[in-house]
This record gives sequence, structure tokens and C-alpha cells, in this order.
Amino acid sequence: MEIELIILLTMLGVFLAGNFLLKLPVSLSMVLGAVAGALVAGEGFPLRHFFEGTFVYVDTVLIIASAMVFMTVIEASGALNALNAAIVHRFHRMPALMLVLLMLMVMFPGMVTGSSTAAVLSSGALVAPVFLMLGIPKAKVGAILALGAIMGMAAPPVNIPAMLIAGGVDMPYIGFEGPLLLLTIPSAIVTVLALGYRYARKMDHQKVLASLDTTIGKQYGVKIYLPLILLVVLLVLTRAFPSVVPNLGMPLIFLICSVVAMFTGRKFNALTTVRDAIHTTIPVLGKLMGVGMFIQVMTLTGVRGYIVINCLSLGPVLLYLAICLAMPAFGAVSSYGAASVLGVPFLLALLATGNQIVIAAALSFICSLGDLMPPTALAGNYAARIVELKYSRVLVHCIAPFVLMVLFGLALLLWPNTFAFLV
Amino acid sequence: MQLITRHNRTWAAVLLVLTALVCVLLAQQFLSMRVEEPIYPGPGVTEQRMLSDWFPGIKDTAADTPVYVLQGEQPGNSMLVLGGTHPNEPAGQLSAVLLIENAQLSVGTLYVIPRTNNSAFTTTDPQEGAPMRFTIDTPNGERWFRFGSRATNPVHQWPDPEIYVHASSGQRLSGSETRNINRSYPGRPDGTLTEKASYAIAEMIRKENIDITIDLHEASPEYPTINAVVAHEDAMELASWALLNMQMEGMDIMLEPSPKNLHGLTHRELGDFTDTYAVLMETANASQGRLRGRTNEALVVEGKDKFYVRAAQYGRLYVPFDENGHPLNERVARHVTGILQFAQAYNDLGLGAIAIDNMPTFTQINENGVGAYLNAPGE
Repeated sequence: MEIELIILLTMLGVFLAGNFLLKLPVSLSMVLGAVAGALVAGEGFPLRHFFEGTFVYVDTVLIIASAMVFMTVIEASGALNALNAAIVHRFHRMPALMLVLLMLMVMFPGMVTGSSTAAVLSSGALVAPVFLMLGIPKAKVGAILALGAIMGMAAPPVNIPAMLIAGGVDMPYIGFEGPLLLLTIPSAIVTVLALGYRYARKMDHQKVLASLDTTIGKQYGVKIYLPLILLVVLLVLTRAFPSVVPNLGMPLIFLICSVVAMFTGRKFNALTTVRDAIHTTIPVLGKLMGVGMFIQVMTLTGVRGYIVINCLSLGPVLLYLAICLAMPAFGAVSSYGAASVLGVPFLLALLATGNQIVIAAALSFICSLGDLMPPTALAGNYAARIVELKYSRVLVHCIAPFVLMVLFGLALLLWPNTFAFLV
Repeated sequence: MQLITRHNRTWAAVLLVLTALVCVLLAQQFLSMRVEEPIYPGPGVTEQRMLSDWFPGIKDTAADTPVYVLQGEQPGNSMLVLGGTHPNEPAGQLSAVLLIENAQLSVGTLYVIPRTNNSAFTTTDPQEGAPMRFTIDTPNGERWFRFGSRATNPVHQWPDPEIYVHASSGQRLSGSETRNINRSYPGRPDGTLTEKASYAIAEMIRKENIDITIDLHEASPEYPTINAVVAHEDAMELASWALLNMQMEGMDIMLEPSPKNLHGLTHRELGDFTDTYAVLMETANASQGRLRGRTNEALVVEGKDKFYVRAAQYGRLYVPFDENGHPLNERVARHVTGILQFAQAYNDLGLGAIAIDNMPTFTQINENGVGAYLNAPGE
């Protein structure tokens, strides 16, 4: 048995023992796994590496924390209730159309930011109550939000895994729109209809309309939507006109909109609300730190290379299987990490098989699905938190769409030239 | 209840003290990356300047970096060598240091920047598990060098946008590339710190009328552009001639044209925005690859890796890779030979005159090691 395999098994074993036997949080269990890995590899206690690994997620942590504040604040201001009432009132006679529009709303922040977390925590949180009002069970709503956010992250114009893969082989990020739209839009529509249509179709219109709280909307009018409008405007402007509008960054945009929300709706205690938001999100932020430490030790000790070389050592059939399994699985660490560490070598291995842009787009699509993979599961965990369920219950409903999406991506990998007209 | 509260407070205090202690220890380690490795200029160096001399906008910033000038005995043409564009590609910096410590010019002028992205030398990339330093044995003891990051230190330029839009072309790349100096050319005087640094280099080329610019890089063995020269279309004839000479010296190397739709790189933008012949050279560096095994100083210097040997057997690489790997000696020898052959080709083609003397040959560096040509303090 190779030493790298021994180290990997040790790291996983200690992580699982810490999490399940000692009932420690995932974050601390990952730290223990990383420490054990370093010790077994003969690296001693490399404090610098433990610390450095966590830093890859600093920007993500800031985005999540600020998005969480925004979500909590607009809920407290009443904007969430007002928006839901307006949507249901307008579209309740066309459930299929309403579902598709809601799904596109979930996707939108992901499309402009490239982040499934931003999508699920902003528009995902906004429309979740509407899905629930339609009678869709909580677990399925969680699955819709998670998958919608991931489709948004993978959809153009901004697909960061695709950029990372393309950048790894010095391929310009040009021509990806067609293949990515083909992969994401039908997948999102099928997902939302498959998971939600039978409930939405049977919706009791009168009951739902009666349950809507329309008083907030009437009391504050358009003013209550200002934070949401500002969010969309800032996200779009900073990306559409980067040379004119300075890049504010997502954390600042979320915080600006949160401050605006304090003056546009119901009064609330800002300090308590922000403290609750941060308190809620700390376990996930801890997970990210733990994962960062874990992967740094994997790289330091050669375990990362061991995984990559074993994937690349497979024959053509098994190589495709490895792409479908290993890349989403690596999402347990990070989908961006999967794109960089596995996506680039896989693209290089497939370069000769057909249109490179179609292949890179399909790889990035499969990579993005890694945001469902526990323990990190950024999109999944936050979707579950929004519907107040454990992630395992949401994950069950993600499995079938996940498999179909992977197969869809695989089809483009197998026949890249057939889809080359999209480039 | 009181007991529990007191207990928790004690734990919290202990954890805070431990955290403070860890912070102090780590700060010392990370700040040590700001100490520059010593370079001992040889007799050929006639002047040492700073890059900010050509663009004061970077003066007193982490982007400012030394420029070594080797003025020849007779006037002639000029060449600029960029080492340390990516400090995780150490053959580039080390080749530049070898020039500074050995080269003497009889004709023309040589400008050498050993730390092109100076800020990137002060940090390492998270999740890469890289060593902070590596050492080279010399007849007079060990010399140490930093193994830095591919990109500008986030302490000096942060935060990254989600998308990096290249200023002059509008090309979009992932946000982290905003700190990659070799995606920022020709730079902007009012841009980011990285863009200002690349602008300063472009300004230097324009103001000094530098005829040839060679940017030294390394690539992971699974990357297609490897053991290669990438040349701007204006420099293709020069590069072809130099390549033939390199091959005659026993180097296996290929020539690639600079893609016209890939922006921000030296071989594209310096060729387009200045009058220099812009070329870039790549060698095979396992310590920056995704397939590598244990990441440590030995991998950086010796370049041996069992997983890359296996990858070569599977046909997954673009460069031969056996148990001997690709040591730093070989990689530096390739770069140094390339530089000398570009000067020679420039003369041979009748484009001008530049003569770089007193440099070890490809065979000498391979046989004696880089350390044999590094100076001792005071030498």
C-alpha cells in the first residue's frame, strides 16, 4: 500500500471518528484529520500549513457572512413577505410558468456572480416561502433551491469553474455561452417542474391567496423593495460596465443593501438581527476553514497528487466514469478546487476528442454539481437551512436530478463535436 | 450555573491566549518571507536601479523591484530578461541571478529583473503546500531563495473581483488572475498594483528602446506549452534562428506563436504595445503541477516525482519524465542557453549587436550545477 493511501485513509478515518464517534463539529473533525495526516506523513505539526490552507476561503467567508446578514435583514424588514405575496397574487393561475420564473430568479445571482452561495442566500431565500406556499414539501423546496443556485453558478455569463479550467490551459473564456445555456437552462426547468409541478398544480388558490400577508406591501409600497432593486442594480452594473462602475465586491454590495433595508420597511433591532445572522452561519464558515486545512495537508503530503494520478491512470471508459464521480466528489472540498485540480488535467486528457470549449463547459458543469457534496455542500447546506431541515433530507431529493445532470454533461463530453455548433 | 459560566470563561481565556501565541508565531513566519534573498552582483553589473525610475507610480510600494544594468564596453543593442514573473517557477529567477552574478557584456546592454513580481515573492499560495524557501549548494556554502506565489500578495492587492477584465482587450478571466502580472500587460498607470508593475516594465522598454525582451517561466509537465519558446509574430524569425541554435546545443525545444486572442501576456502585449521582440520561455517544473506527490524543497530543486513518472507512462504529459526528473540545474541551463542564443541569433540575423560573455554553457550548468556559478558574499 502506498504511503499516500495510508495518509488519506488516516485523514478520513480520524475525520469520521471525530464527527460520528466523538460527535465533534465537522470543522473540528477536519482539523483533527489534517493534523493526523501531517503526523503520519512525517511532517510533524506544520502550523503554517494548517493556517495557510484556511485562507483560500477568506473571500467566500465574507460573502457568506454578508449575504446571511442581508437575508436576515430583509426578512425582518418585511420585504420578503411583501415580495412573496406579490408573486403569488400575480402568477397563481399559471403554476408551471410561475415555477420556471421562480427558478430563473433563484439562478440569477449565481449567473452574475458565479457563486451558488450568493444565489441560494439571496434570491433563494426570497422565493423559498413562495414554493412552500404552493404546497411543495420543505425537503423538495430545499432541493430546488440548491439545484437552482448551482445551475445559476454554472450558467453564463459568469461560470468560474469554466474560467479556472480554461485558464489552466490558456484558453480564453470565449464561446462558452451556448454550451452552458444548453446544459443549465433545460436542467433547471426540468428540475423545478419534476420536483414541484404536481404540488403547484393542485394548489388551492383561494386558501393560498387568503394566507398571503398583503398589508406590508400596501403599507410601504415600492419603497420596501428598494434593497432588492438596489441589489440587482449593483450586481448587474458592476459586472456589465466594469470599466465605468468600480467593483464593490459582493460583501459590500450585500451590506449596502442591508443598511438600506433598515430604512425601507418594518423597524427592527439591527444589532440583534446581525448577531443572529452571524451566529447561524458560523458552523458553515468553520467547515470551510476545516476543509481548507484538510486540502492543504493533502497537497503537502502528496495525497492530492495520488488522487489525480489515479484518476488519470484509468482507461477511456473509466476515465469518463472518474470525471462523473471524482469531480463532483471533490466538491466536498470545493467545486472551484475541483475545477482547478481535476478539471484541468481531465481537459488535457480529452483535448484530442473534440471541441475543447464544449468539453471545458461540460467539465465545469459537472464540477459545479460538487456544491451539493457534503460536508461542505455550500449550496445544499444553506438551502436546507432556509427550509429549516437537515441537509440529508434535502440531499435525497437532489440525487435523481444530480444523476440526470451528470449524464447530460457526460453526453457533451462524449460527443463534443455534435454540440460544437453552439460555440 | 455560575460554575459552568466560570468554567467557560476560563476556557475562553485559555483559547484566546493560545490564539494570540499562534498569531505571533505565524506572523514571524509569514513576515520572514519579506526578507529578500541576497544577490551578489558580478563585475559585469554597471548600475543597479529600481523599476520605479521608469514609472514613479510604484515607488515605495511592494511592486518596486531592482533592475540590474550590465552596460557593455561598446555600444550596441539591448535585451531585457524578466525572471520571477511567477515566483513559484524558480528557474526564471535563478537564471536571472546567474546572469547578474556572471555575465559581462562586450557589446550592448543587458537589463535583468530577477523579481519581476516582487510582491509575489512575499507569500505562498494557499492549498499548494509549497515550501517558503529552497537552498542551492555552492562551493562557499548554501544560498537560499524564496519559493513564492504565482500572483501578487493579497496583502498588497485585495480583494479580487469575481471576474478579472483585462483592461485593453476586455478579455474576461477568473478573478484571481487580477493579481497575475503575466495577465496584466501592457498595464495601466492608474490600475491595480499589478497593472502598475507591468506598466512600469512596458515604460522601461519604451524609454530605453529595449530590442529584445525574454520572459522566463516554468510550466507543469502536463501543460501543453512546455520546453518551448512562445514568440510574438514580429519575433518569429529571431526565435526560429535561436531555436535552431538551442537544438544544436542538445536542447529539445519547440516554438509556438503567441495566440492573438489570449491577452495580458508578455509575448502578446509587449510585442503589440512596444517595439521590442517579445518572447517567453518555458521549462518543466514538477513542483507547480497538479499531479505532483509530496510537495517540498527536494521536489523544487531535484524535480523528481514518482507520480509524474507514472503519468508519463500513461501518456498524459507533454514532456518526457523519468526517474531523473527535471532538476533545477537542467531548467536553469535551458533558460540561460536560450538567452545566449537569442543574443547570438540577433547578431547572426544582422538585426544589431549584443554580446553576452562569461556565461556557463548548457553542458557546464548541467554537469557542475547552478551552485558552481553563484557568488559568495563579497565576491
